[in-house]
Amino acid sequence: MIRDRGYFHWDGAFIDRRWPWWPITRQGLRLAFKMKLFKFIFVGSLVPAFVFLAGVYISERLEDFKAMVHGRGTLISVDPAFFKTYYSIDFLLLMLVMLMLFSGAGLIADDAKHNALQLYFSRPIRKKDYFLGKAGVLWFFLLILTLVPGLLFILFKIIFSGSFALLRSFPWLPLSVLAESLILTVFFSLYTLLLSSLSSNRRYVSIMIFGVYIFSDILFGIFYGLVRSPYAALISIKANLQQVAAFLFRLKPAFAVSWVYSLLILGAICVLSVFVLNRRIKGVTVIR
Amino acid sequence: MEQQSLVLEDIHFSYGQVAALRGVSLTMGSGAIGLLGPNGAGKSTLLRIILGFLSPHKGQGRVLGYDILCEQRSLRRYVGYMPEDDCLIPGMDAVSFTAFFGELSGMPRAEAMKRAHDVLFYVGLGESRYRLLETYSAGMQQRLKLAQALVHDPRLLFLDEPTSNLDPQGRAEILDLIVDITSKKDISVLISSHILTDIEFLCSSVVILNKGLVAAQGLLADLRRARFNLYELKVKGESDGFLKKLESRGCRPEMTEDGLLKIYMPSGLNNMEIVRAAAEEKVQIRQFIKSRTSLEDLFAQTVGVD
Repeated sequence: MIRDRGYFHWDGAFIDRRWPWWPITRQGLRLAFKMKLFKFIFVGSLVPAFVFLAGVYISERLEDFKAMVHGRGTLISVDPAFFKTYYSIDFLLLMLVMLMLFSGAGLIADDAKHNALQLYFSRPIRKKDYFLGKAGVLWFFLLILTLVPGLLFILFKIIFSGSFALLRSFPWLPLSVLAESLILTVFFSLYTLLLSSLSSNRRYVSIMIFGVYIFSDILFGIFYGLVRSPYAALISIKANLQQVAAFLFRLKPAFAVSWVYSLLILGAICVLSVFVLNRRIKGVTVIR
Repeated sequence: MEQQSLVLEDIHFSYGQVAALRGVSLTMGSGAIGLLGPNGAGKSTLLRIILGFLSPHKGQGRVLGYDILCEQRSLRRYVGYMPEDDCLIPGMDAVSFTAFFGELSGMPRAEAMKRAHDVLFYVGLGESRYRLLETYSAGMQQRLKLAQALVHDPRLLFLDEPTSNLDPQGRAEILDLIVDITSKKDISVLISSHILTDIEFLCSSVVILNKGLVAAQGLLADLRRARFNLYELKVKGESDGFLKKLESRGCRPEMTEDGLLKIYMPSGLNNMEIVRAAAEEKVQIRQFIKSRTSLEDLFAQTVGVD
């Protein structure tokens, strides 16, 4: 079609979106999936979910796997410990960090570097919509790796066993899955957005996302080696997440420290993130 | 009666103790208006208030009929803004970029996409609309910024330094586009630029801000007439006394590098005063021309800089 080089008015009508942030989220997801390495990481991060799902199947098809049991009564038991293990294994947490690194490092940093904030805020969107739009990208990936597998484990356990025994024994389990998924999602999304807002260089942000997580764990290891105090676990992001997960699934935490401290530390990081984000991103910066 | 796209009354704003705007009142109808002022004059603060990012400490105003104090989001839907800086989202092409900002303005997704194609053709990026934005030249990025500002068909367009960082050809092309928008379409355009020749080319009216106040406002032709007359002279003889005499009579003489004497004369003063002063100081006038005052002259005279 050959078009005239001429301006003409748009005769459509504007719409009031219920979720004005949704176009930002959709765009962020599209950009994330454009990266080849990200797709690889995303598929890799689904591995624990598939392995645990296979575990659910095996737990109910014991007859088929007798050769592997070697006299033990059970091969895999699907109980709160099973869920707690899924949510706190090192590999899953590391993959969550890697996903945040690839999908989230540039969310705000790229906008700051390429002056896109000016274009966002000259539109009829609020700062809240901008943050929700960016956070929505991270929530999508985090919930796919936390809430979705957790609920699928319960659902498939019910289907494979043909009974509601799991829910009868642990009626609070769906709520625990929901709470743990929300804690992981809220924490990692705010942690990523905070670091993404601190620099306009995506590489520095990537290093910070990975570095802070790993460094906090290394620091914990050093302090624990020196003082042998379980309170050293409070330094580590990973250990704090694991402590809270143990509480939510009504299990004994790995370290003899109250889960409340861990929750408070994670909460403090979230509050700090909201505070810093609010201070660093301002609509008024549209005009320099 | 002409619909006013912008009405501001007695706008005051301070950053702490520093007063940025001290009672700015202005109105804007259709067409193009140039917003001028030296650094720190209050232009950016004024644009922030007009776009609804800052609330004035005193005063009121309406943009396209929307109150700047309580209808900021609504007014931004009908306003287009082309920033000075290069703006892009890496990884996107021009069509999805333009459509994306159309959607954020409130356009339905399919219509935003269709309109994005149209405005990209309009600004001359039709053939390269599927290229990644990172590969765009400075001129193409400037056009892209104009496209995103036009995608939702705004009724008021703010252009911030629209021709900065462009080569002569790119500058001429952007100017042509802006002339096309302002002259043929019912879109009001407010242009902020330090390139005064561009403002002179594009705008029939100007607002000059200085130290937080409106130093001059109105049709360019009227301002030129009302404020001063400019004469260009070539003289022979000792001119120091002549210049001092002119200054004492309220004129502002200025010697150019090529020996031309420019005299800014207050509008109430008779040009014979120049001849009399020359006679008194025994200076020969070899050339006496009433010059057309440029916007640069008007600006210099208004804000008191050379």
